[in-house]
Amino acid sequence: MTITRKVNCWEVLSCEHGPGCPEPCPAALDVTSTGVNGGLNAGRICWTVPGTICGGELQGDFVDKQEVCLNCPFFQQVRGEEGTAFRFVKLAQGLRDAESLHARITQVESLMGIHDQLRARFNLDAVIAEITRQARLLTQAQRSLVLVLRGKPPRLHGEFMLRGNMVQVDIPVDETSAVGYAALRNKVVNVKDAYRAAAADDDAPFNRTFDDACECRTDSLLAVPVCDSDNRVLGVITAANSAKGSFSQDDQWFMERYAVEVALALEKARLLQEAVAAGRMASISESLASLSHFLKDVAHALMGSSYIIRRGIERGRMDDIKSAWEILDRHVKRLAQLCKDVLTYDPERPDEICPGDLNETVAEAVSLLQEEARTRAIKLGTDLGPGLAQWRHSKRGIYQCVVNLVVNAFDACLPGGGHVTVTTERCGEDAAIRVADDGRGMDEETREQVLEVFRTGDKTRGSGIGLPTVVDVMERCGGRLEIESEPGKGSTFSILLPESP
Amino acid sequence: MGEPRKKVLVVDDDRDDLKMISMILEPEGYEIITAENGAEALEKVESEAPDLILLDVMMPELDGFAACAKLKASPHSKGIPVVLLTGVAKQITKTRYPIDGVLRAEAEEYLEKPVDPEELLKVVAGYLK
Repeated sequence: MTITRKVNCWEVLSCEHGPGCPEPCPAALDVTSTGVNGGLNAGRICWTVPGTICGGELQGDFVDKQEVCLNCPFFQQVRGEEGTAFRFVKLAQGLRDAESLHARITQVESLMGIHDQLRARFNLDAVIAEITRQARLLTQAQRSLVLVLRGKPPRLHGEFMLRGNMVQVDIPVDETSAVGYAALRNKVVNVKDAYRAAAADDDAPFNRTFDDACECRTDSLLAVPVCDSDNRVLGVITAANSAKGSFSQDDQWFMERYAVEVALALEKARLLQEAVAAGRMASISESLASLSHFLKDVAHALMGSSYIIRRGIERGRMDDIKSAWEILDRHVKRLAQLCKDVLTYDPERPDEICPGDLNETVAEAVSLLQEEARTRAIKLGTDLGPGLAQWRHSKRGIYQCVVNLVVNAFDACLPGGGHVTVTTERCGEDAAIRVADDGRGMDEETREQVLEVFRTGDKTRGSGIGLPTVVDVMERCGGRLEIESEPGKGSTFSILLPESP
Repeated sequence: MGEPRKKVLVVDDDRDDLKMISMILEPEGYEIITAENGAEALEKVESEAPDLILLDVMMPELDGFAACAKLKASPHSKGIPVVLLTGVAKQITKTRYPIDGVLRAEAEEYLEKPVDPEELLKVVAGYLK
C-alpha cells in the first residue's frame, strides 16, 4: 500500500503565509476545513476562503476571486487528484448535502463543456438551450430563460416551454419588471421574496404580469444582464424559484459566468449572420452581372435577326428570313426560360442535388468572371475533362464554390496579373474541380488554417475569403477540399465530389 | 465586272452570332470569311488577307483583345482595320485592359452589344469605302 501525502496550497505555491508563519493566511488557519479534499485546514479548499494571501496578494471573497481561482494551477491539481470525490465548495458554505456538491462540480464541467461547444460547431438555439438548461440545474431553479434585446425600441424577447407549450415573452426595458430593470441598469437583480417585496413596495421591481399570464407564482428570481465586450446589454438571463428558497451569492456568480457564455454565443451568431448576409449580397451582385450579360446577348441576337427578317421581306430573301427566324426563336425561348428562372428563383430554397453536366456548371461560373479577370490583367482559362456530363451535383452550390475559389485565386495573384486555370477531371471515384493560380501561394501554417475551417465547420473564421460558402456546399454534397500550395509558386484548390453524395 | 468585293473577316465563337452578322453584311455586297476563335482568326488573316476584321471580345482561348493586340503587333496585319464587338462599355474596354501590363487594345472601333445592324453597316461601309 502506498500512502501519498496530499499537499496544501502553501506548499505548492511556496507561500510564506502557511501555518506557523508570522502572518498566516486565513486558509492556513481555518481548522474547520481540515480533511476537505484531504488537506490540512483549508489547504486544499483555499478557493472558498475569503481574504487569502495568494502570491503575497490579499484576495477578495469567494465571488471576487473565483475567476482567478478557477485558472489557478493548484485548483486544477486538486481537481485532478480528487477526481469524482473533488469538493468544490464546503458543506458549511450553505450547501445541504454531498449530492448537491457533486452537482456543483458537474456544473463547473458543464461551463467548460459549453465553452468548448462554442468554439466548435455552432448553433445558437442549441447553445442557448444548453446554457439555460445548465443554469436551471445549477441554481436549482424551476425555470430559466434567456431574453434577448430586439427591435426598436428594444424589448426583451424570449421563448420557453410552459406545460408542454412553447410560450413567447416580450418585456419592455424599464423599471416595471426585474428583468427590464436588469437590462436597463445593467445590474444583477436578485429578488428573494417577490410577493412580499412587491407588497412592501420595496426597491425590487417585481412585476406580477408574467405570473398572471403564465398562471404561476414566482417567489425568487435572479436576473443577470448579458453584455458584449463593450459592456453593452444584449439581453438578460434569468432563473426563477430556487428549490433552496432563494438564490445565493454562489448562484449569482455562476449565472454571471453563464451570462458571459450567452454573450459569446450571441456575438458568434451575429458574426455568422453578417457573413451569410455578405455572401448573399455577393451572390446577388454576381447574378446581376451575369443577368446583364445574358440580356445583352439576347438583345444583340434579337436586334440582328429582326433586322434580317425585315430586310428579307423587303427584298424577298426567303432563306435569310428562315435562318434569322430560327435564331430569333431560339433567343426568345432563352428569354422566356430566363423569366421563368427569375420567377422561381428562391435563395432560401435549398438547391437540389441531381445529375447534370458538371462542366457546364463550371463553365458558366468561369464565364461570369472573365470580365473581372480582364480588369485585373489575369488570364482565366478552363480545361474541362470528359465523363462528367451526368454527374450528381448541386448546380447552384458548385457554381458558388467555383466563383468563390476563382475570386480567391484572383486575390492571390500578384498586382501585375497572373494566370488562373479551372480544370475538371475524373479522379478515381470522384470528380475533381481544380482552381489553380500562379500567385503568392501559402505557407504551411496558412494552408493548415484554411483546412481547419473545413475540419471544424467553423464558418465564422476566414469569412473574408468566401470559404464559408464552400464549407456549406461541401457539407451538402459530401465533398471535400484539398489544397496544394507553396509560397511564391501559387496554389491549387481542389474540390472532390463523390458520384453519389 | 466591277471592283472585287471587299472581304470582311467575322470572328465569333457563337455560331448564331456568326451567322447573323454574315447575313447582315453579305446582301450588301461584302465577301464574308468566318473564324470561331482568335487563333483561327490569325490564320485566316494570313491566308485570306481581309479588308476589315470584326472581332468579338468574349471568346475562349485567344480572346478578342488578345487577338487584336497580336494583329496590331504584326507588320503584315497592322494596317487592317479592326472593329471590336464587346459586351462591356467602351470606356472600360479602352482604359482597363492591359496586355503584358500595357494598355494595347488598339482597335479602330468599338461597338457595344447589342449592336444595331444599321450602325454596324454604317461603320463597316465607313472603313471600306
